[in-house]
Amino acid sequence: MKDKIERLLQEKIRRETEAKTRRHFIKQCATGMGGLALGSIFAGCGDFLKDEKSFKKSGFSDRDLNPLATLAPPFGPKVKNVIYLHMAGAPSQLEMFDYKPELQKLNNQECPQSLIQGKKFAFIRGTPKLLGPQANFKREGESGNWVSDNLPHFKKVVDEVAFLKAVHTDQFNHGPAQLFMHTGSPRLGRPSIGSWVTYGLGSDNQNLPGFVVLTSGGKAPSAGKSVWGSGFLPSVYQGVQCRSKGDPVLYIEDPDGISRNLKKSTIDAINKINKEEYARYADPEILARINQYEMAYRMQIAVPDVMNINDEPENIKQMYGVEPGKESFANNCLLARKLVEDGVRFVQLFDWGWDTHGTGRDTAVDIGLRNKCREVDRPMTALLLDLKQRGLLDDTLVVWGGEFGRTPMQENREGKEMGFKGRDHHGDAFTMWMAGGGIKKGAVHGQTDEIGFSGVEGRVSVHDVHATILHLLGFDHEQFTFDFQGRPFRLTDVEGEVIREILA
Amino acid sequence: MEVVKQLLGRLHPLIVHLPIGFILLGLLLQWHDRKNGQYSKVISLIYLWAGISAVLACITGYLQYLGEGYGFDTVKWHLWWGIATALFCFVMYVRLREWKTIYFISKIPIIVFSILFFGLISFTGHQGGNITHGTDYLVEPLPNSVKSALGYKIFEEKEIALNAANWEEALLYEDVIVPILNNKCVSCHNPKKVKGELLLDTEEGILAGGENGAVVVANKASDSEIFVRMNLPKDNDDHMPPEGKTQPSKEEIALIGAWVDAGHPFEGTIAESGLKQELFQPFFPTKIDNDYPNIEVAAASKDSIEAIKDKGIHIDKISEATNFLKVSCLNKPSFSDSDFDLLNPLINQIAILDVAGTKITDAIFDKLTKLPNLTLLNLDHTNISGEGIEKLASSSKYLKSINLTGTHFKEPHLQKLADFNTLKKVYVFQTELDVKGPKTLNDGQITVDYGNYELPTIASDSIFY
Repeated sequence: MKDKIERLLQEKIRRETEAKTRRHFIKQCATGMGGLALGSIFAGCGDFLKDEKSFKKSGFSDRDLNPLATLAPPFGPKVKNVIYLHMAGAPSQLEMFDYKPELQKLNNQECPQSLIQGKKFAFIRGTPKLLGPQANFKREGESGNWVSDNLPHFKKVVDEVAFLKAVHTDQFNHGPAQLFMHTGSPRLGRPSIGSWVTYGLGSDNQNLPGFVVLTSGGKAPSAGKSVWGSGFLPSVYQGVQCRSKGDPVLYIEDPDGISRNLKKSTIDAINKINKEEYARYADPEILARINQYEMAYRMQIAVPDVMNINDEPENIKQMYGVEPGKESFANNCLLARKLVEDGVRFVQLFDWGWDTHGTGRDTAVDIGLRNKCREVDRPMTALLLDLKQRGLLDDTLVVWGGEFGRTPMQENREGKEMGFKGRDHHGDAFTMWMAGGGIKKGAVHGQTDEIGFSGVEGRVSVHDVHATILHLLGFDHEQFTFDFQGRPFRLTDVEGEVIREILA
Repeated sequence: MEVVKQLLGRLHPLIVHLPIGFILLGLLLQWHDRKNGQYSKVISLIYLWAGISAVLACITGYLQYLGEGYGFDTVKWHLWWGIATALFCFVMYVRLREWKTIYFISKIPIIVFSILFFGLISFTGHQGGNITHGTDYLVEPLPNSVKSALGYKIFEEKEIALNAANWEEALLYEDVIVPILNNKCVSCHNPKKVKGELLLDTEEGILAGGENGAVVVANKASDSEIFVRMNLPKDNDDHMPPEGKTQPSKEEIALIGAWVDAGHPFEGTIAESGLKQELFQPFFPTKIDNDYPNIEVAAASKDSIEAIKDKGIHIDKISEATNFLKVSCLNKPSFSDSDFDLLNPLINQIAILDVAGTKITDAIFDKLTKLPNLTLLNLDHTNISGEGIEKLASSSKYLKSINLTGTHFKEPHLQKLADFNTLKKVYVFQTELDVKGPKTLNDGQITVDYGNYELPTIASDSIFY
């Protein structure tokens, strides 16, 4: 027994020396050498870093204490928040926004070889047949932009949005394409847009996470949680997934028999120990941890509150078409507005079910797709209108899109004719739209060829979309970097150009 | 044999350091021994070795000159001075051995020889370095001011200075094309670097083309390498400028194309070229539309910002490019009219004020008149009724937007907003005004958004396929 205590004491002494020499020197001196040196000269050693306040005075920033502290963007921002609506599975642009009458005329004709030679498709084999648009289109609004009758509500807000008609990606499978769309790389390991933005700007609301993710459609995105992961950025910047059904954040509720007071005492006790630890080692990581505990405690109250849609007025609920207690895109859209209203920086919505291959009724472009359109049409329209009437659309950017588009050809899985009308994955040209602060209302950028196969004008890449989002938030995407593995990394890698054509 | 020759040639940069080392060692020893003269035999031996290695260096140097295809003009000085250095090694050897037979050499003082020798080796070495690294190798890292003082030409970005008034009179080539080429191409295609044997810094260079022939085909941008290469995908090996270099913008590339399509004129104004204004529009200075006044303001003191932040009020610069501040009480719902006095040290810097959801009352309007640069004002979800809002009309010269959503704002105060000269947007959703949609005031200057938007149920809402 005595022997063991002896060993413990020795370990304690060893740890302390380690901390004093290596950690103290490298961490402290590397981050705030000037402050420390001056501080120790003027204030003497020992007590000048004893709490947060004196700590700040010694030259450390808010960020050293709280990784979510807000920072000013380098340039004048047009928006401060982003709501990104991702239709996971890839919606068919040809039944929603990209009107191709010529494709109707060529319906059921064999696709010319020249078009598909050397191209890779997920399921199409041999020579597929062209499939005309399975929806009626009309010019809508003052802008006269095309919208299909699959989106009868969205027609009313068509003048608010700017369309990108010729977005392209080089990925043709869901997982990599979603990763590419959200992290700028089809491979794992990069931070998502929301993480970059939270890292760059911090979080306004100290009681809520800065980056919230909401999913609907019964399935998580194919790429998994990496699409809202923080990659090589500190994990505090990753998206926090909230649920519109059940507990909004898993494990945030106190366990049975633990009262709020007891919880508070627990956190106070932990933080007291942490503060003592800090007084001894003066490591800013410890202060950051203390802040995290306190934020988690505040979140227990704030998150269930903001995630509760029952108290919204009836007319608002009706406008979104919410179904309280269920997991739905409508609920998530309403939540997105509430979160942005409460200062959440980046809200990411994923809605699964857009993978319309035509393998069954649910995935037919003339059956299942219409149901999906109905599910999102009212909520996304309501979201734009609701943001607008609250003045939030002035400083919020709404982005809508999928991970790629769909082929103008009827899918012929394994080379066989299929029972339902479906389209395969297609990355050459698809439609996205943006609305909100800094966006030119009613603009259309990009144009596809007669059958909607490729962009012929105004082609923009996924990197261009990212560059534009960062630009609107006040960043130069080429300067906004994070050093990792010996080199600076960017969201846009070495590419990307701001799409000025859709900027106001 | 050819292989041996080339290989030996490539050993020149290695071998050349042997005589340099020997000679410097010899000179240092001479200095050390200047009084006693004890080491002259050793020193002479060192110079003998220096001479032998210098001959080897000359031979390998000559082989390198043959093998690597240098022009004689490039290497001639290095070559002659190298040979001279080798010979001088032997002269030094002879002088130090004090052979009486070669009488005249021993008459000249040894110090003269040493100084000459030092000059010779330095000059020859420098000439060699110039061949390998280029003549401005050592000048390059110097700051531009020093470079220009030394008489070196420096690379300067040129700006395209166009605006809506002068664009037609501007010279197409001189004022538009030259800056683009200069900023994005000339750093590699200039007389010093001549990548791909192409010069893009002069009219003659552009017309002469490069190693793959012409770069401009008159009136056909789509056949002109200069335009085609810039449009290739960035990962294509032939894309110009190469990966990693500053890329021209889409608009700049479009202008190069339009210039070639117009017959790449080197003279004449834009108007004479007949090119359309859209091409030049992106280069006009843009209207600045920030959420803060377009004026300069002194930075607020850090200490006062910190002190207010400690009270739980958010303060951030709107961006790093300005001293104007955004103040938000998002995390301080207890903020009341009296707390406003906390903000006194920042009254000139505050451009965005967000006191939404706080305990403020109509008394706040008196206080808000202290903020001369207020641009965006969020008063939503508070108890104000709008009493006194007209006071802001004269005090805030820059006010663009007021958010009154979820307040008790009353109809009579709405009309007072007509006196706000800069106001553009007012949000009065969920107030006591029960109107739908946007209305305008002051002939469209101000949009008052009453909200209450609706999406009525339509038949298709309940059609399930």
